[in-house]
Amino acid sequence: MKNIIRALRTERGWSQQELADKLDVSRQSVNAIETGKYDPSLPLAFALARLFSRSIEELFDDGTSVASAAE
Amino acid sequence: MTHPKGFRAANRRYQYLFWPMMALYIVIIFLASHFIDEETSPLGLKVLGAIATSLPILGALWAILRLVRETDEYSRLRHLTALAQGGAITAGIAFVAGFLQIFGALPEFSAFWFGPLFFAAYGLSSCILHFGSGKTV
Repeated sequence: MKNIIRALRTERGWSQQELADKLDVSRQSVNAIETGKYDPSLPLAFALARLFSRSIEELFDDGTSVASAAE
Repeated sequence: MTHPKGFRAANRRYQYLFWPMMALYIVIIFLASHFIDEETSPLGLKVLGAIATSLPILGALWAILRLVRETDEYSRLRHLTALAQGGAITAGIAFVAGFLQIFGALPEFSAFWFGPLFFAAYGLSSCILHFGSGKTV
């Protein structure tokens, strides 16, 4: 799943390790999420959303628009 | 008793149990091989030596399973995948070796070696998952 985690992280000048420490996960987890190799669970997605003050939909793009999902 | 949660705490608790268990295993192996004679030692001492040698391995397995339960979700997925692959490789080799023995194409050997084989397969799978670029799920 595409996401803007890397952009938001670098915008704040954080390293992957610093973001991992804030979320209490491994650096590998952050890397896997940023590169789209791993889609986080809802609790971790909420933690990311709170940390970056964005909604989950703003952080992650599953390629489905709201309009088409409602059909 | 509750423990601090999260990746760091889980990793620390794993390190504090796994490596002492490995050190204990080496010490017990040395002592058992020094004091227990296969031919002359009493049965009770042999059983005690075998159980004492096995306990640190069971402790290390417990450390791995506890780490899987307590670590972060991505690490848990990787560990579970590696454990499943390690188990499948071990079971596959056990079946092939077993049938080779049944049909007389392979001499008898100690079943002990399937334990180290599992750890080796688990470790190899962990390395492949760590350095590989494939999507885990």
